[in-house]
Amino acid sequence: MTNLEPAYHLKDIRHYYGDKKVLDIDRLKIENGSITGLIGPNGSGKSTLLKLLAFAQKPSMGSILYKGRPELPFSSTVRSRVTLLTQKPYLLKRTVFENIAYGLKIRKEKNNIEKRVKKALLNVGLDYENFAARLWHELSGGEAQRVAMAARLILKPEVLLLDEPVASVDTESARLIREASLNARKLWGTTLVIASHDLQWLYSISDRQLSIFKGNIFSTGIENIITGPFEKQDKKTLIKNLEDGQIITLNLPEQTACTAIIKKKHISIDLEKQPGNGHLNQLSGHIASMLLEKKSETIMATISINDLSLILKLSPEKIRLLNLYPGKKVVLKFHAHDVEWI
Amino acid sequence: MDFIVAGFIKAFELLVSGDSSTWTAVWATLKVSTCSMLLSIGAGLPCGFLIGYFDFTGKKQLRTLLDTMLALPTVFIGLAVYAFISHQGPLGGLGLLFTLTGIAIGQTILAFPIVAAITASTIEGIDTDLKLTLVSLGAGKRNIIATCLWEVRFGILAAAVTAYGRVLTEVGISMMVGGNIKYHTRTVTTAIALETNKGLFANGIALGIVLISIAFIVNLSLSFLRKQ
Repeated sequence: MTNLEPAYHLKDIRHYYGDKKVLDIDRLKIENGSITGLIGPNGSGKSTLLKLLAFAQKPSMGSILYKGRPELPFSSTVRSRVTLLTQKPYLLKRTVFENIAYGLKIRKEKNNIEKRVKKALLNVGLDYENFAARLWHELSGGEAQRVAMAARLILKPEVLLLDEPVASVDTESARLIREASLNARKLWGTTLVIASHDLQWLYSISDRQLSIFKGNIFSTGIENIITGPFEKQDKKTLIKNLEDGQIITLNLPEQTACTAIIKKKHISIDLEKQPGNGHLNQLSGHIASMLLEKKSETIMATISINDLSLILKLSPEKIRLLNLYPGKKVVLKFHAHDVEWI
Repeated sequence: MDFIVAGFIKAFELLVSGDSSTWTAVWATLKVSTCSMLLSIGAGLPCGFLIGYFDFTGKKQLRTLLDTMLALPTVFIGLAVYAFISHQGPLGGLGLLFTLTGIAIGQTILAFPIVAAITASTIEGIDTDLKLTLVSLGAGKRNIIATCLWEVRFGILAAAVTAYGRVLTEVGISMMVGGNIKYHTRTVTTAIALETNKGLFANGIALGIVLISIAFIVNLSLSFLRKQ
């Protein structure tokens, strides 16, 4: 085992709830000390993946290597190193102090507990004198989430998994939780895996974005999903009719599949439609939003086409060239054969 | 109405004067109910935890059986225990018939399904995020079980209080297995039944007051503990 080993290496992971397959990942590596953003709609498998990474559940099939070694739930190696904060974490029916010190107590660490609790509370912007003695039900939603975060930070985890950590808290709590998670990486080199709908935050802090849909991971970040109903046009093509009369043409899947993925890299942007070529989709829409991806210095543009939103990456040069801005009418182009089916 | 008021006055006199027959019945009640509660909690709590916490084949059937046992009539339990511990029964040699131990056995059978079923329901109702939280904080299997039990302590207390109330107020088992022998196996409830039949309302009311007071003190103590 060396430091060069990734924090996680997932191999041939298949996970089922009953008969339903909820995760289908052939290979996935998460590097030590990295920040990975996990993007996907509700029910796509984000929480399940985080539970597997937290070793709170065992995958139905496949293996998870933690720093090069296959690990299972409750193994002593991972138990004290990996921690997960969920959207609505459970606070024990005890005081704030006891909640935060719980992890230390079960590790039988008895030194400087008060000092460490004080520091952990401070990390999330809570005052020890005012909060330590409070009971679990004497906290607001944001305070409870910050206490839960402090309970994890006190453990100085190697891996901190965050499942929608700021989805249901006030703005100030959200800011403090975000800061605290980044501090963990700065102070202890903690590997962060964050699932969030806050794309702006994720794109600004993460080294890498993973998109997840129906349990499938796309390591190229958020991708475009087109769901049915589709109509069969001929032996080789399907079409999807949009409400405004526009039509999307897609090559027929080889196997049974019902969801089409159009990767960002296959979509180009223009201001006018070009004549001819029936297999080139040309869809008119408006730029709904533009988001700077700090690491790559590219811009993620969301184009609204009737009830459909498509995303593509744009270089600053392209934006300057076409004079693009939110609200501008544009044409998106992609080939019918560039579709992938899941 | 006068006889009821007079009954209350007489009851107060009996209790204050330390009437031996009254206080012997109270003492016998406390002894058997405490003993049966300890036994039923000792057996019912782990059993309820196992049923509520783990998934196994036959769990549903076991729950149905347990829930059915909640409705066991005290006279039926009395009859069954009587049959077992009477001289002709398989445990006749132990000499348990018409003893407080015999009553305690019957009351344990009465309280066990209550403790087990309510504990199982409480454990089943544990927030699914609790286990995930404990795992993510590094808890091992033992820590998880201990913490889960501590988290649902009020539910388990409720199970114990419900069972205690049932045990304290039952007549059938005490009457059939204990035989209502004065100064020996007469409990508060059998005494109330007897005194009322004899028309001695004052004694009945006195014992009734004691019974309600015991229930009140138990609930008050638990309420205090809950606040702590």
